[in-house]
Amino acid sequence: MTEDALSVFRAEVAEWLDRHCPASQRQPIVREEQIWGGRRRVFPSDEARSWFEACRDKGYTAPDWPVAYGGAGLDAEQEKILKQEMSRLGCRPPLYCQGLWMLGPALLVYGSEDQKREHLGAICRGEIRWAQGYSEPSAGSDLANLKTKAEDCGDHFLVNGTKIWTTKADEADWIFCLVRTRDAAPKQAGISFLLIDMASEGVSTSPIPLISGDSEFCQTFFDNVRVPKRNLVGAINEGWAVAKELLNHERKMMAAFEGMLEKPAMALLELAHYAVGVSEDGRLADPELRSDIVSHLMRETGIRQMGERIYRQGKAGQMDARLPLLMKYLGTSQAQVKDELILAALGGEGLSMDDESVASEGVRKMVKQWAFNKSLTIAGGTSEVQLNIIAKRALGMASGERRS
Amino acid sequence: MILNQEQIMLRETVGQFFEDQSPVSRLRALQQRPVEESYDREFWSEMVGLGLTGITVPEVFEGLQFGWMGLGAVSQEAGRRLVASPLLSSVALAQNVLLNCASKRQIESYLPRLLSGEITASVALDEGRFFDPGAVLVTEQNGQISGSKARVLDASMSSLIFCVARREAGGLGVAVVATDDECVSMTPARFMDLRGCAAITFEGVPADRTEWLEGVDVASGLEQAIDQATIILAAEMMGSARETLERTVSYLNEREQFDVKLATFQALQHRCARLYCELELAESTVAAALMALDDAASSVSAQASAAKTLANDVFSLVTSEAVQLHGGMGVTEEMDIGLFLKRSRVCNQLLGSSSYHRDRYARLLGF
Repeated sequence: MTEDALSVFRAEVAEWLDRHCPASQRQPIVREEQIWGGRRRVFPSDEARSWFEACRDKGYTAPDWPVAYGGAGLDAEQEKILKQEMSRLGCRPPLYCQGLWMLGPALLVYGSEDQKREHLGAICRGEIRWAQGYSEPSAGSDLANLKTKAEDCGDHFLVNGTKIWTTKADEADWIFCLVRTRDAAPKQAGISFLLIDMASEGVSTSPIPLISGDSEFCQTFFDNVRVPKRNLVGAINEGWAVAKELLNHERKMMAAFEGMLEKPAMALLELAHYAVGVSEDGRLADPELRSDIVSHLMRETGIRQMGERIYRQGKAGQMDARLPLLMKYLGTSQAQVKDELILAALGGEGLSMDDESVASEGVRKMVKQWAFNKSLTIAGGTSEVQLNIIAKRALGMASGERRS
Repeated sequence: MILNQEQIMLRETVGQFFEDQSPVSRLRALQQRPVEESYDREFWSEMVGLGLTGITVPEVFEGLQFGWMGLGAVSQEAGRRLVASPLLSSVALAQNVLLNCASKRQIESYLPRLLSGEITASVALDEGRFFDPGAVLVTEQNGQISGSKARVLDASMSSLIFCVARREAGGLGVAVVATDDECVSMTPARFMDLRGCAAITFEGVPADRTEWLEGVDVASGLEQAIDQATIILAAEMMGSARETLERTVSYLNEREQFDVKLATFQALQHRCARLYCELELAESTVAAALMALDDAASSVSAQASAAKTLANDVFSLVTSEAVQLHGGMGVTEEMDIGLFLKRSRVCNQLLGSSSYHRDRYARLLGF
């Protein structure tokens, strides 16, 4: 698109957003008001519903997906403009969904035409909420060690086993799973990618209590679950390729996780000013905290600039394929640094997640966030796995014999 | 760094030129020369011949107008080979002090001579441990300049000193003084990275041998020029840091112990991977700062402070780790790693240490 066409597009988008996004949907998002869709979807208010429906009808829940599958068919430049305008006006994301961030992009590459038609639209329209079934109790970083078995029974698979860390599986309708369809060496060669309706007989889910006091993660059990063969994505025993495609999207999503989370009640700087005060010379009263906050802000900005650099490289045809490998490690580590600084700024006021007499509601949320965000460097490939990948693929460091 | 076609050609030409003509041995050769010689004058003439004095200079002043990104790319290449030259002292710093602080007449009188390589100039900033614009002690009194400056880069090779001094009427000014003036005394020295500088004492340089730069707002022009040079120095440091990491990874890929390549050990892989993450994070910040310069963005000062801080920190970290990862060889003169290590610590103190820039960044953001 020419610069002129893009500025026309920007003006149209801004006008559309301004017309359809009510003032209440331009307030910073709070967790309770995020719209995750699904069969049991609820809307916190009529305005939230109308904002969601306007976006859904315009294809803006999945702006870069083809129009035929429920998206808006925007190219990378247009999508960036939409995001910029939404962030400028403070519009809330209309839909949160693993289907949107992870399954959809993988289906667009590996799904059959029927699968795309059946599932992509339902995701965009917020009708089906998806969970991810990858890890198992004995398959964490060594994901290929998974044991959940799908037995070929003619017109269907019979699935037995269990999946763990299935985020919000207790609220999900469908789950995309990696399953073992043959015992093979290497282990990756016997894995298939299967879509499973969680309303099927034999599927059960139980939440796992976490150190944050919440239970975002669940364990899901499959006991003789019949899954129609048409729910196999990609070829049999070739699910690993689909899984890797999807993991790339998950890591990209997690690197940018901050932007999608509930905004803290106060920005870090504001919080620090409020909590520790200012000296006579205008500097933050705690010099060590001040210096740590500066370091954090510089790095946080640097990570954002790296994202922009990757985007511009792609646009200029000068892509350095090594850079995207770094984003998950850097983004999640830095998010944790920020949480620690919030805790440091809160001092004695930040010592409870649930006791109202110790901490206000806003503070308790920040402390819970700190505890929950310890999972950021574990989920979606641990930082250690990321560093292995960076050493081998970005730096070309020699692989040794794996001592497993 | 996203470069346009012209800038890519510039980088490739200059990179090849440095690789062929200025291996690290050229820097080492300076040790055998008198202390006044802080770079190889003939090699500098060749750099001038390539147009490297005029990369950021607008075409109206006969420059190449390749932008800050262009000068940043050249400085990175210089950093890779540890090229000793007045690219920082005269081109990035003095030239921009002139362009930002001088009148049109003054620019027209000095700039062509700087561009042609006829002369070089250096800016006298530091007093004591570092440059503090609020505590400049070199002053103009009864029209005469007196006081001492420390660590003026490449001063003994320069024809002119742009001396930052407190004016009689208040505020900061920049005085152009000839290095051969009888009231200027210079003590040349070599930093541990083999680059040269001098301590300068001004012993009442009289008014008729001093020319004050007459731009509209000298103080903010000076700050702007320092920001520009700071970002260029950060770019050079990134080139050196990248070279250091690449040499270290190659070493680990070659060296065998316990019958395997060192690079196969996960402890070492993770250390190198972390260094690489830090390197690209800093590079992204420096590239964004260069872009901000080309766009004349209002955020340049904060971006210069962020770029210098991250470049300082990553260059220090990478070089310290490189010495350790080279084992015993890392502490020998046979390897160049030690020179990169020393260069990093010198660069850290030039144009502001990390603690200086963190404080400045916080002040610019209002906390």
